[in-house]
Amino acid sequence: MQLFSRPASAARQPAQSPSPGAARRIRKTGVVAAAAAVVMALSACGGGSSPQNADGPVELRFSWWGGDKRAQLTQEAIKQFEAENPNIKIKPEFGDWSGYWDKLATQVAANDAPDIIQMDEKYITEYSSRGALLDLSKYEIDTSKLDEAALNAGKSEDGLTGIAAGINAATILANPAVFEAAGVAMPDDSTWTWEDFEKIASDVTAKSPKGTYGAAAYGTDEASLGVWLRQNGKSLYTSDGNLGFEPSDISEWWAFLKQLSENKAVPTASEVVEAEAAPLDQSGLATGKNAMAFWWSNQAPALEKASGSDLKILRFPTKTGSSADAELWYKASQFWSASSRTKHPEETAKFIDFLANNVKAGEALLADRGVYPNSEVRAAIESKLTPADVKVVKFIDQIKDELGEAPAPPPKGAGAIQEIIKRYTSEVLFERLSTDEAGKKAHDEMKSAISS
Amino acid sequence: MSAISELSSITRRKGKATAAEKKANGRDNKAAYIFLLPWLVGLVAITIGPMIMSLYLSFTDYNLLQPPEWVGLENFTRMLSDARLHNSLGVTFTYVFVGVPLQLAVALLIALVLDKGLRGLPFYRSVFYLPSLLGGSVAVAILWKQIFGTTGLVNQVLAMFGIQGPGWISDPSTALGSIILLHVWTFGAPMIIFLAGLRQIPHMYYEAARVDGATTLQQFWRITLPMLSPIIFFNLVLQIIGSFQSFTQAFIVSGGNGGPSDSTMFFTLYLYQKGFGQFDMGYASAMAWVLLVIIGVFTAINFIASKYWVFYDD
Repeated sequence: MQLFSRPASAARQPAQSPSPGAARRIRKTGVVAAAAAVVMALSACGGGSSPQNADGPVELRFSWWGGDKRAQLTQEAIKQFEAENPNIKIKPEFGDWSGYWDKLATQVAANDAPDIIQMDEKYITEYSSRGALLDLSKYEIDTSKLDEAALNAGKSEDGLTGIAAGINAATILANPAVFEAAGVAMPDDSTWTWEDFEKIASDVTAKSPKGTYGAAAYGTDEASLGVWLRQNGKSLYTSDGNLGFEPSDISEWWAFLKQLSENKAVPTASEVVEAEAAPLDQSGLATGKNAMAFWWSNQAPALEKASGSDLKILRFPTKTGSSADAELWYKASQFWSASSRTKHPEETAKFIDFLANNVKAGEALLADRGVYPNSEVRAAIESKLTPADVKVVKFIDQIKDELGEAPAPPPKGAGAIQEIIKRYTSEVLFERLSTDEAGKKAHDEMKSAISS
Repeated sequence: MSAISELSSITRRKGKATAAEKKANGRDNKAAYIFLLPWLVGLVAITIGPMIMSLYLSFTDYNLLQPPEWVGLENFTRMLSDARLHNSLGVTFTYVFVGVPLQLAVALLIALVLDKGLRGLPFYRSVFYLPSLLGGSVAVAILWKQIFGTTGLVNQVLAMFGIQGPGWISDPSTALGSIILLHVWTFGAPMIIFLAGLRQIPHMYYEAARVDGATTLQQFWRITLPMLSPIIFFNLVLQIIGSFQSFTQAFIVSGGNGGPSDSTMFFTLYLYQKGFGQFDMGYASAMAWVLLVIIGVFTAINFIASKYWVFYDD
């Protein structure tokens, strides 16, 4: 680029020595131009996808959280899409769950959000109520074959801001190898109670080498709390966006955890804290240190791969000993959302449509993000599923008639709840707070987190 | 020390500058500013601009996704009743007031040993300096986590003696101590500065003291320490400012949540969580300004107190 184009008048003038004033002016202009060039360079870095001409290729950014296996499968789906749409390039951005949300918040604030965003139910209300997500119902995305409950999970007063990527359920995954080594029989998950859970888990610990425990501790996320509350006739949230339980409910939940800890059914407090920070493939279940652990159903294949043994998917225990009272529910594992500020909403919608409805996408993604909500895709990819995926699909089908009512969607600010649960769980396990105090304080904190 | 006297002599000379010299100086200044331009742009665009912005944001409710809303002093009044913030201040103060003196003491001790003129001094100097290059890094924090884990190196060694160690970084009563230890371990930078300071103390003082029959300990207390006091002061100010802002170590070791039970929740970490985790950027900005004021106050106290213990050999 020519920064100093010589004006025509200057060119015509005869050459003469510039006056001292002119020299200063020239120098000043130089400084200003240099500054302008720097500013221009800075602003050029700012925009994510630079605008393209109508015919040129469009580049979309697509971000998700997850491990290596998910990255491989998703890259394969992107490849299939790009083969069908040579004019659209998809640039992946992925990382761990823990850093994902900090990064996304910063990107959105900097007006640099990815075009396609993998979204979670904890955050979807936060983002959509603040206008950060595109209403996908205004674009060409076929939703006719999607599971209705899963589709509704992405709807709110702000429109359809997320298309469910898969269906999930809260489960307990068991490693039969650890049971066998301890000489303890696998539980029957259609009849077991929480007392059975405690007995079996402490039995495994007692009969296993030091450092191996019957179960991982719950209390590190809201799924296990949600199940507990539902089995007690309460819920995590109410439909009007409040907490659906009392301090005493969560105190009882912690009291039982403490009992598990005292009976050595679960690891020591220090080990629980360390396990929290470990990624999926270094978790107690994956390394054979836990016989049972609390996970989402879609995580079973990845955990099976990491542990190298044939995991079993179990229903949660109940109070009554009847799996009809397990009060599980189908969760939209993740959502496909789009940034409301995307420069290419049509292309973005096209890609989301591909992910949700195209068999080729299904063949690539399989059941890594849960069971496919599109019934046609689900049927078409059945033969391609790995044995681990098949187990997940079977489990989801198996519990279909036992499901409780669909839970209320997490309100704004729900993203902070998990951290609060974790923190007070360690306060309880380290005996720094009584379960009653922890229940009261945690309830207060959660209340203010979702009311702000 | 000598830098200050040099500076004052420069300013004294400048007063006598002739008109011609002044003109030449002016030209030099302009050239200097042009060369400084890239840095100046950076200073304005990357430091001062965001600082002014954060001052504004500290008076607003800003959730990152929607435009900020002016709320006056609300963020600051909210801090008064925020128990987690008070806890994070406690953690940070403990870290600064235990970690910094310990680190400086270790740095001075090693510098004294190295100053005795060991063979292979450059090698030792490099080895001891290495941790301070690495200590703030993510890799070392991860390593620390492994060493001090329930089944980490430390506990394996303890187990050889039949001692069952706690989970050093996962137990709320020892987690902060482990991070302070990591800070102490990075004593290399102050050590190098101490070493340079020790070299500047004239030998004749020690010779005279020895003639008078002073013991090594007396020499240390009466000569080394007073002569080194400006260097100690310099290190103290730098380390206190740096430690108040430390973030990486706690972030990595605790997995970003300041746990267990907020025992390693540094002020900066809580600020980060508020801003980026809980969409409360206005509050986080206000916290940043509170931290700036705290650091300012402690630096001022440091300078005022220095009049009573720092000895300038002018």
